[in-house]
Amino acid sequence: MSASNAAPSRVAWLALPGAGYLLLVFALPLAILLATSFQAEQGGFSLKGYTDFFSDSYNARVVWNTLKTALTVTGLCLLIGYPVGFAMARASLPVQGLMFLALILPLSVSVIVKSFAWTILLRSNGMVNQLLMALGLVDEPVKLLFNERGLVIAAVHVFLPFMVLPIFTVARQIDSRMKEAAATLGAGPVHAFLRVTWPLSLPGVVTGCAFVFSMAVSMYVIPALLVGDRYQTLPALMARAYLFMRDRQAGSTMAVVLLLIAVAVVVGNTVLTRRLQARGRTLGDAA
Amino acid sequence: MSALKLTGIVKRYGSQAVVDGLDLSIGAGEFVSLLGPSGCGKTTLLRIIAGLTPCDGGSVTVGDVDMTALPAHRRNIGVVFQSYALFPHLTVGENIAFGLKARGTAKADIAAGVTQALKSVQLSALADRPISALSGGQQQRVAVARAIATRPRLILLDEPLSALDRKLRETMQIELRQMLRDAGMTAIFVTHDQDEALVMSDRIAVMNRGAIEQFDVPERIYARPRTPFTLNFVGLSSQVQGRVERKIDDLLWVRTAHGIVMAPAPAPIAGDAYETAVGSEVLLGIRPEMIAASPVFGTTDANASVAGSIEPRGDSVNRISMRVGETVYRGSNRLVYFDSSLKPGVGPLMAELPAHAGPSPRTGDTMTLSWSVRDTLVFPLVSTLETTA
Repeated sequence: MSASNAAPSRVAWLALPGAGYLLLVFALPLAILLATSFQAEQGGFSLKGYTDFFSDSYNARVVWNTLKTALTVTGLCLLIGYPVGFAMARASLPVQGLMFLALILPLSVSVIVKSFAWTILLRSNGMVNQLLMALGLVDEPVKLLFNERGLVIAAVHVFLPFMVLPIFTVARQIDSRMKEAAATLGAGPVHAFLRVTWPLSLPGVVTGCAFVFSMAVSMYVIPALLVGDRYQTLPALMARAYLFMRDRQAGSTMAVVLLLIAVAVVVGNTVLTRRLQARGRTLGDAA
Repeated sequence: MSALKLTGIVKRYGSQAVVDGLDLSIGAGEFVSLLGPSGCGKTTLLRIIAGLTPCDGGSVTVGDVDMTALPAHRRNIGVVFQSYALFPHLTVGENIAFGLKARGTAKADIAAGVTQALKSVQLSALADRPISALSGGQQQRVAVARAIATRPRLILLDEPLSALDRKLRETMQIELRQMLRDAGMTAIFVTHDQDEALVMSDRIAVMNRGAIEQFDVPERIYARPRTPFTLNFVGLSSQVQGRVERKIDDLLWVRTAHGIVMAPAPAPIAGDAYETAVGSEVLLGIRPEMIAASPVFGTTDANASVAGSIEPRGDSVNRISMRVGETVYRGSNRLVYFDSSLKPGVGPLMAELPAHAGPSPRTGDTMTLSWSVRDTLVFPLVSTLETTA
């Protein structure tokens, strides 16, 4: 009735264009996808897509490959990106600007271009192998192309900004006095990090991991260019079902399975972190 | 043995010394305030004591342990930060337990320590609350409880009351001192608020430009400031410059823009800087509550009756007639400014008159101001630095 009562619902209308757009380009195709995965070739309801998919043990390996690669990429991005995010948050403004630029600018280069660049760098007589041999670290070229190793290296490069940015955002909000307060209370650097900095940065870590994992689990261009058919992941299999085998039901089924995996891991990750946070408290009291 | 001894502390940022060869010694159980304007180096000094900022010279000794080279987490010095710096992801109880856990205290002792600390700040019921659910005053108390829970050798407080509104701040001043005294803590309290320092401290160290101007009990800081800076920074005062015309025993006759004013010669403390020979320039200061003002009828000659015209004794009185300028009503009293339109560089005389004594004097009225000669504060001026009209 009054203006203040009306305000929240009125503000909610601002989400309308975005919600409408998503409904049209995301929710609707998703519904069609879901319907297609349950649709027999001649029309009518069929579970054939799912029974076929889960009865083939090869698919299980592909799913495992996909998960393993995505988790490795996410883990490495976190390991590399976490300190970068904090360094950026504590850097002086000009340095911070440069770091920001260094992070954002590569996003304007197409993934295809980046992947091609990596094929040149990673091949057996490429720069990476030449460097490794010149340094005497290896005696003969390491196989970096057409296997998971090269895929992970390239994927970490492409997805790193999506890990650094959320961590940077959270790190910037952590009051530097927190660390000082912990120190004056007798906490050494390790204790202070584990009990103060890390828990306070968890929201950024969760967001960054969700970004990187959902992109890594569904990446298609990078494996297509760096690995080809020798190391199969679910998106590649899905593309083959659609493009070569013209099997819309199989393709849709894989898409649904992939989506469920991504959602399950991201949601599971968030819930688990929350629970660990809460448990860490009570455990901390007991310890 | 002093609880804290600072010797020759120096801290530079670039070429500028923020703390400049500072010495300070504090006794066990004392509540000492570092009082000074912003930028005087008081917070930097606090951080040096806590080990959060390294110093470029000097030593920090707590008890009989030289702590200069120890990192903050090995000093066992508690700090209450201006913004409290409570851990937002922990509850009240967990915040207080943090220091005990960091020391690897046994589980039962942690629980006992938290209970004890919460009790001493009267927040026992709030142990399980998240920090965000507390009011400013409660957060302030949690910060104190967290700092004292580890039984530190010393507790440092960096303007911990500045975020509170006035009423709460005044209550907390008393409470905080009580809490720290009950806990038997030696405390150093940084503030720019003179009232706060006067109310709370056993001793006050007035800081200016990285050095301590005066370190004394509140009564003497207020009534016997040693430097013009302290006179200015703590409390109100009328100030006027003049030249010493006569000196008999320890009494001075000073020629000022308001006429002759008599003042006691200050005891020489550090050589030439405190010289008050005939002909030297001095600054005179008088606290407003030391000046009595009564109506005068007839004469308006400001120099008509001056104490200097009679033979002086130690309990003599300065007497000047002046016109009333502005009057400021302050509840229990009125602050009356006299003849502020004299000359540039000459401050007005101020008298604090009890409000219940009668109606406000009107602007333009002539009144006789009188104050005891011994209440006149004298500060020798180094003539090369100060020029008078």
